[in-house]
Amino acid sequence: MTMEAKTALHEIGNRHREILLYPDGNEPRSRMRVPLSRRHWLKWRLRHNPKTLVVEKRLADKKPLWWVLALGSLAVAAPFLSNSSLSIAAIFCMYAAINVLWTLIIGTAGIFSLATMAVVGLAGYAAAAANVYLGVPWPFMLLIGGVAGLVTGAFLALPSTRLDGLYYALLTLGMAEICRVFIQQLKPLAPSNGSINAVGSFIPSEWYLQREGLLLGFAAAFALLLGALLLFRLINSERLGLVLQTARDEEAFAEAIGIDYRRARSQVFMISSAGLGVIGSFYAMYYSSISPAVFSLDQLLLLFAMIVIGGIGRADGAVLGTAIVILIDKGMLDLGPARILLIAVIMMVVTLFAHNGLVGIREQFRNFRNRKKSEARARRTEKGGEVMPEEAIEIADKQEVYFRRFNKRLREELKLLITPDLLEEHRQKPLGRHSDGLSRVLNYFRRGEMADKYAIMRQPDGFNRYKIVALSGERGAPPRLVDDRIYETIEEAYHAVFLLRVNDLLES
Amino acid sequence: MSAITLIHGLNLAAIYGLMAIGISILWSSVGMINMAHGATFAVSGYTTWQVSLVLKPIIAAAFGNSVMASVSMAAAMLASGILSGALFGVLIYLLAYLPIHDKANFAVRSLIMTLAINLATVQVLLYLFGPNQRGLPKIFGFGKVELLGVNMRYDQIGTIVSTFAIMLLVLAWLRYSRKGLEIRAMMQNPEGAELSGISVRWTALPVTMMTGALAGLAAVLLSQTIFVSPTAGATPLIKGLTIALLGGLGSIPGALAGAVIIGFLEAIVGAIPFLGQRYVLFSQFLFIITFLIIRPRGIGGLLDETRE
Amino acid sequence: MDEVLSIRRLNAGYGPLRVLHEIDFTVREGERIGLVGLNGHGKSTLFRSVMSLVGWQNGSILFKGREIGGSRSTGAGRKTHSIVRLGIALTPQGDAIFPGLTVNQHLDCGAYSRIAWRERAKRRDMVMDIFAPLRKLEHALVGTLSGGERRMVSVGRALMTEASLYLIDEPSLGLAPKISTSVVEALFSISTEGRAMVIAEQNVALLSGRVDRMIGMHAGRLRGDVGHVSLG
Repeated sequence: MTMEAKTALHEIGNRHREILLYPDGNEPRSRMRVPLSRRHWLKWRLRHNPKTLVVEKRLADKKPLWWVLALGSLAVAAPFLSNSSLSIAAIFCMYAAINVLWTLIIGTAGIFSLATMAVVGLAGYAAAAANVYLGVPWPFMLLIGGVAGLVTGAFLALPSTRLDGLYYALLTLGMAEICRVFIQQLKPLAPSNGSINAVGSFIPSEWYLQREGLLLGFAAAFALLLGALLLFRLINSERLGLVLQTARDEEAFAEAIGIDYRRARSQVFMISSAGLGVIGSFYAMYYSSISPAVFSLDQLLLLFAMIVIGGIGRADGAVLGTAIVILIDKGMLDLGPARILLIAVIMMVVTLFAHNGLVGIREQFRNFRNRKKSEARARRTEKGGEVMPEEAIEIADKQEVYFRRFNKRLREELKLLITPDLLEEHRQKPLGRHSDGLSRVLNYFRRGEMADKYAIMRQPDGFNRYKIVALSGERGAPPRLVDDRIYETIEEAYHAVFLLRVNDLLES
Repeated sequence: MSAITLIHGLNLAAIYGLMAIGISILWSSVGMINMAHGATFAVSGYTTWQVSLVLKPIIAAAFGNSVMASVSMAAAMLASGILSGALFGVLIYLLAYLPIHDKANFAVRSLIMTLAINLATVQVLLYLFGPNQRGLPKIFGFGKVELLGVNMRYDQIGTIVSTFAIMLLVLAWLRYSRKGLEIRAMMQNPEGAELSGISVRWTALPVTMMTGALAGLAAVLLSQTIFVSPTAGATPLIKGLTIALLGGLGSIPGALAGAVIIGFLEAIVGAIPFLGQRYVLFSQFLFIITFLIIRPRGIGGLLDETRE
Repeated sequence: MDEVLSIRRLNAGYGPLRVLHEIDFTVREGERIGLVGLNGHGKSTLFRSVMSLVGWQNGSILFKGREIGGSRSTGAGRKTHSIVRLGIALTPQGDAIFPGLTVNQHLDCGAYSRIAWRERAKRRDMVMDIFAPLRKLEHALVGTLSGGERRMVSVGRALMTEASLYLIDEPSLGLAPKISTSVVEALFSISTEGRAMVIAEQNVALLSGRVDRMIGMHAGRLRGDVGHVSLG
């Protein structure tokens, strides 16, 4: 009977988590493109495995898969949900769409606007009024809402380039308040306390609050969310978004290289406002009424809680945060007022522990791990430049690892050779035939890298005056002076350079 | 402008000034927008109400119906308002400052934290006391006095006088004391303050306590005219925030000027018959928006540049 | 001579970046040391890690026999004020640190110990003796001063309290040569009796021949200090 040697193999690195395909190398390479564009659906990267030389296709960005999984499961599960869950799902889609567009404003454009609900509400009111008082059929309501959003956005975008941060946030907060008071003061709306009821809708009136109506409402809201996500992708990751990304940290620098970030910002703001306007008209149609509550501070705070919990500036954060908050706020109605308390506590916990919401945790953890790795590496004895195992998986060229190991061992050997006798020998005779040990040491020094190599510089003011410099190792960069000592003979300077190198060797 | 409007405006200016200065000082020294200032307001209001309920029979038993009774009652209420405000300030310090003050995104995260504290506090107050409004006993008593030909209510005089006294104290403290110097040093460069032997963590505590105490004081004073309720803090918070921004965040003289302007604006708009109270907030926001568009950094807002 | 500061195997860095590699460094009482090296080679980081202001650090830093280093990975700046109070004064790189205070107030900020605060007028006078141009600017806002004057205020703040170790970071940075000479001149006029001073500087010529030791710094390692082998 033979004992089978079983060694536990641990998977290290990230490779086992990657999605790999092995295409036939003989087949011509083909990739599907998104219609009407040169973009690809998925970010496949083709390369040869350096070890096996097999062609492999690696999925560089796994996020699209997660999106498809999450949204797809929602769409598939929807027909089997109960009536109340279905309406919660529809509300989730609507708010997620609002938050995605809001993320576009706060994250991509970098404008801290709190007028989101003001835009949604105004556009909703405009569309509802057009439908109820002018008899515009419902498909045009979306258009009217979009135009109303665009106009409001243009109006709001004007001061956004002039005011900064908090001041603008306050201004937009005031905007919502002004809208609420204004709507409530309108004479024609007075009997219904400021709300417009019986708005025409894409849901036929006999289906209203019926199963069919709810399903249709959900389907439309889902399409709305997909539209918002598409808009996010089109703006955030294409030209406008990239322009704004360069301008994010260094506005003055961006301006200096000719990026008109102000214009790009207001463009993004206006486009997103138009989108919010469309959502506003959808909102009025979905509830077939609209009331001034849409402008209320509580509503805004709830929305803010959503993007804060998810993480500001990312579409996945906006959707995730919306899902959590809507689930608590609309799904746990029997908790009563404690829902808000729960949301507040979640907000606190997330903010205390995560730098940027839930979706930022991954990156935060990576940074943390990198820092810890770096510290741990520093804590061990620095083995003379030898590569530590955990560092080795980060170095692509494995020869580098062995070269550094060899160098380190060589240095360890040479250190043993350095004795006062050896130094004395070099002092006596810097040039000429040397003993075996000294030759070895000098040979090692001759192979040193150019950067920081010591050299002797003759002073311009006399023949026998030398100083020691260190070469920079870069073309065009002058050597730097090591110290101010002046050596009277070249031999003395040779020996000084030798001592400096020995010093470096012993320190390494 | 009638004299009554003037007094009313001054009264409002005093209370809003207390809120705005607290927000402004906290922003400039600690770098935190305190959205829980309204919660501090409501908590202090309720604490004072509770204290007054408890103390009323005790004081009545000790002093009967004398002047001493009302004086001690007033002192107890002011003290409880200030103390509870300061204690709530400690809570804000512990939750929203201490754990995250040297981490990434502090400005935004502290804003979110204080917002969450505000939300949670309002809910807890609702749970404990219900949505009913409570009236505080009048500190300064009822009645009017004619001064320079103007009719003034006692509480208006009391509010204006005590606010100005407290504000002078605070300003003098910031200007002349050693702690004030440390706070101003911390406002301008936290790391430099550390290098001067000032502990940023320990200096932030008195600042949060002080701003909390100011909010508590404002709560006791404002509750002379309005009722205490769980959501009572929202309006003073918004007013204080807007005034602090109007004055230029971090500028105390600017905040004071802003408080006077907004106070009078509210009094005047409220007094004009065809506008009335409903348009007060509307007109204030309109005014502030126009002002900020003309002068984007507010009245005295230079601090953003000096912070850099 | 007593060792004021003795650093053993100090590593420090920011996040995944490691800036200082195994620094061994000793400052003795009465010494004036020049720390020279190019931009970005870790001079400031060395000072900042003594003050516990870097992202993370480990290794031992003994200040008068007392451990102020140790391993630390977060909370940069939490211990700084207590280190300052032990008697290390750092003048940070760049401009004066509190632009919105007047010169007098700025100097007062340096008088953190109780004794120094009580005697702050006397000490201000002493600083003004060293930096004469400040005397007529007592009530001017620091932000409105010229670069050289601001640097003087910044250094003067560090002198307000009796410290045993002065760390001066780049006194000549961004100043005209004449002004930087006068600032450095003033620094050399301070006696190092019973204390020590380390000056980080890119311009070797400003310090050469006037400091007790000159230490080079390159790529996060100390170079040129005579540690293992005596030079001649």
